[in-house]
Amino acid sequence: MSLIAQQIVNGLALGGIYALIALGYTMVFGIIELINFAHGDVYTLGTFFSLAILGLLGATGELHGPFLIVAVVVTLVLAMVLSGLVGVIIERLAYRPLRNAPRLAPLITAIGVSFILQNLMIYWHGPSPLPFPQILPNPTYAIGPVQIAAKQAFVIVLAVVLMIVLQLFVTKTKLGAAMRATAQDRDAARLMGIDVNATIALTFFIGSALAGAAGFVSGVYYGTTWFFNGFAAGLKAFTAAVLGGIGNIAGAMLGGFAIGLVESLTTQLLSDQWSNIVVFALLVVVLIFRPTGLLGESLPTKA
Amino acid sequence: MRKLARGVPPKLARGLLFIALAAILPLVVHDGGFVNFLTDAGAYVLLALGLNIVVGFAGLLDLGYAAFFAIGSYAYAMLASPQFGIHIPFWIMLFLASGIAALFGILLGAPTLRLRGDYLAIVTLGFGEIVPQTFLNLPQWTGGPNGLGNLDQPVFFGYRFGFNILPYYYVMLVLIVLAVVVAQNLRDSRLGRAWIAIREDELAAKHVGINTTTTKLAAFALGASFSGLAGVAYGAKLQLVSPDQFQFSVSVAILSMLVLGGMGNITGVILGSILISSLDRLILPQASNLIFALAHVRVDLSNSRFLIYGAILVLTMLLRPEGLLPNRRRRAELHAGTAEAMP
Amino acid sequence: MRSSSLALALALLLAACSSPASAPAGNTVKIGMDFPLSGAEAAVGQPIANGAILAIEQANAAGFAGGKFKIEADTLDDTTQGLHDPAQGAQNAKTLIGDPAVLAIIGPYNSNVAKAEIPLTNDAQLAQLSPAATADSLTIGDGAKALRQSHPDLVTFFRTCTRDSEQGAALAHFAQTLHLWHVFIVDDNETYGLDLADAFAASAKSDGLTVLGHEHLAAHQQDFKALLTKIAAAHPDLVFFGGVTTTGGALLRRQMPDAGLGNVPFFGGDGIASDDFLKTAGAAADGTYWTIAAPDVNRLGSAREFVAAYRKRFKSEPIGYSAAAYTATQIALAAIAKGIGSDGTLPARATVVADVAATKGFSSPIGIVGFDANGDTTAPVLTLQHVKAAKIETVDVYTVK
Repeated sequence: MSLIAQQIVNGLALGGIYALIALGYTMVFGIIELINFAHGDVYTLGTFFSLAILGLLGATGELHGPFLIVAVVVTLVLAMVLSGLVGVIIERLAYRPLRNAPRLAPLITAIGVSFILQNLMIYWHGPSPLPFPQILPNPTYAIGPVQIAAKQAFVIVLAVVLMIVLQLFVTKTKLGAAMRATAQDRDAARLMGIDVNATIALTFFIGSALAGAAGFVSGVYYGTTWFFNGFAAGLKAFTAAVLGGIGNIAGAMLGGFAIGLVESLTTQLLSDQWSNIVVFALLVVVLIFRPTGLLGESLPTKA
Repeated sequence: MRKLARGVPPKLARGLLFIALAAILPLVVHDGGFVNFLTDAGAYVLLALGLNIVVGFAGLLDLGYAAFFAIGSYAYAMLASPQFGIHIPFWIMLFLASGIAALFGILLGAPTLRLRGDYLAIVTLGFGEIVPQTFLNLPQWTGGPNGLGNLDQPVFFGYRFGFNILPYYYVMLVLIVLAVVVAQNLRDSRLGRAWIAIREDELAAKHVGINTTTTKLAAFALGASFSGLAGVAYGAKLQLVSPDQFQFSVSVAILSMLVLGGMGNITGVILGSILISSLDRLILPQASNLIFALAHVRVDLSNSRFLIYGAILVLTMLLRPEGLLPNRRRRAELHAGTAEAMP
Repeated sequence: MRSSSLALALALLLAACSSPASAPAGNTVKIGMDFPLSGAEAAVGQPIANGAILAIEQANAAGFAGGKFKIEADTLDDTTQGLHDPAQGAQNAKTLIGDPAVLAIIGPYNSNVAKAEIPLTNDAQLAQLSPAATADSLTIGDGAKALRQSHPDLVTFFRTCTRDSEQGAALAHFAQTLHLWHVFIVDDNETYGLDLADAFAASAKSDGLTVLGHEHLAAHQQDFKALLTKIAAAHPDLVFFGGVTTTGGALLRRQMPDAGLGNVPFFGGDGIASDDFLKTAGAAADGTYWTIAAPDVNRLGSAREFVAAYRKRFKSEPIGYSAAAYTATQIALAAIAKGIGSDGTLPARATVVADVAATKGFSSPIGIVGFDANGDTTAPVLTLQHVKAAKIETVDVYTVK
């Protein structure tokens, strides 16, 4: 039984990363109904940025005490900001001109952007996987029958904290209200004096920043990164967003953790090679019987 | 439609001319590699025409079309090879695999009937991942990652196709002509108009008495059947099928062909298909040599294929999202969209 | 009209791209190459191609056949959309076959691509040497004969690497000598990885080891925590990985300490034998063993020269297969040189095939090489290496019987 409990912890940690990426997908889809295929690659870029920043800070091994905290905070924040900017740039250059084009056009563009980002990362660090400094000390804490590693706790806690911050931002601030309004009805929002373009850009910034955070976290958690990571992670995170309910922030979080759990438990109970298939099969089943996702969707109302 | 003096409609005349040119091309161009490329590209033309029925005609966004390609190819691999000792002749397999693919089209399309737009896309994306990975995970049936090899070569009245590319080329040409004729007839039929109706306003279509269920299923089935043809022809030519050939990137490529060429427009789809195939298999691999030939500068582009491919997709969509040869209706739909003031 | 002018432009563009069948410029010999040069496998494909290119450049510098001939590399990429594609491989093979100046092909890397190409090169009686396609069924068994459709009794495919079954058997035997009785096997579910893992599993069983489990990875996997937790619960003495660095080798090893498996030895084949693995797995790399299908480069003078020349030319590290590609190219060039007539005419392709097949006692960076009747190397030397204190050490050198 403790083995299952252990796998649940594994699943939650993995799910935390998916959740952070899923938040970006769900926010962007919620506001302009675009499946941003390049989002997964922004996640990988987040890891690459973190790698560069840690390099500048001279952090190559395990860190302790105040330096650890400084390094984590500085890297996390900078990685988020840089990733957010990448998201804004992509939106401005590649998606905004196509806002009124047939649905497929921005989709194909997003895929094209994904390819471009991947190739840029190949230029940056080559086509091979690379190591990421293990800056976090990793003692294991025993809680009952379960061993939870500090790294896993870090991932889960950070994901939840960021989600709470995001939820507060969206529900309690004026900018957040602008985002919700634009998501609900773009024309009405414009009539209310909201700068729709800026609001959409902000949405991309936040979503991409969260992907960047996921990138930093994944680097610390796995100790490696690779230009191609974004593809699979992005696909599953997108599944998570849909599972939880597109446009719904809590849904993305729930979906992310759920997908992480499904993967881990499938690996344990069945076999690793079926984990992807089970995740996608779950997606199909949920969409057939509950198309709005587990927590219901939050999308622009259609006339 | 204006008719020429002899009573042959101009479109038909153009079509016949292209067929004639395509037929004599390999006899004039003595480059085996190029004719081979055209044959492979031909399979993708079939796939694009099939997807065009689903996405272009019926407006059902399918992001996992490679799954049907896989089904068609593996059907041939399992029923015309040493794998199970079954050797159904190529010509019969063309029909049989089409039927099997169509059946799967219905099976995989059925769950999506109630879903709107993008959810449909996601489910099809899911299937696009599930199908090839399942084939990968069942080695006793499908050979696993090694795939199945030594597939039967077609035999035509005693003549075995062998390694000469010409017979495969002509078979592919015939299949394409067949597919175009079928697609045109579908487009102009009552079913075709039903597709337009559900594409533009499903609710209204239902109220006019169109059975949206059967209409959508028909789109999936017919679209998938084309991939059955493509799978058989491609598999017979390569004599090998393996799961690596059906990744998500293949679905993306076929979709790109539609979007680039002009969704819904049959000629556009063929054009888009050949352009993307050329890009992937002819231009990009030779990009360094091409640039050298044009500008006499040696640039090593082998590390940049993804970048170039992605840039082309992005630029095309930014500059001409309705495609090179847009469908008249679609163009109207697009302009209705841009008539709204930009925020 | 727009569509026909577009069509015309397209036709012109395609015509410009199609490589015309060039008449052999009397003094140019071409060596065709087919490797995955872009996308996810470029990390392996590029270094391998570089090894072959180095051989060609050195031959040119030394003056091939008395300086009368120049050798050109015709390097083709068999990836489509970033992944190896058997159809693209077949296309490349046809392109190379169609060029009369090409007298040999070096490649491919992936065994599935090889399966698509061998029937074609066999039909054209063109010598094809692979430095890295290791699936058994390419040279032995009924599968291999079936690939040689046009000339079943003529072997045109040769390889300078050791077969998967031999590597797997050697690794199993070594596990036995180390008394690692309980093994857990993982593979990346691709042609090479699965073949190697299956070979290891079969040999392990006959060597008296217990296989606790055999898992296949899902595609593009990054998170191995769940799998490693499952493996740890089985208490293995050894974890075996069939696959390459990019499909999970390094990542799996990197995450093992977190699952409590840091002290458990990790075995793999030449797919993980590279400095890349060391770099990516970091501190966790210690305790990894692998075999490479070549003698220890540090014990052979010629290998050291190769490594130094490679580093100088490409400013990067070679991988194990780079040397195999270099050797394969040298063998092909030697065969071509042998067949050059006294009047300076180039040999026919079939002659090159015969000369390659007759290669024996060829001295190369990977040792003394020759080919047996199946096209396999006659010196399947395997070096067993060990990562200790972040360095690669050689433990033993086998010659597989």
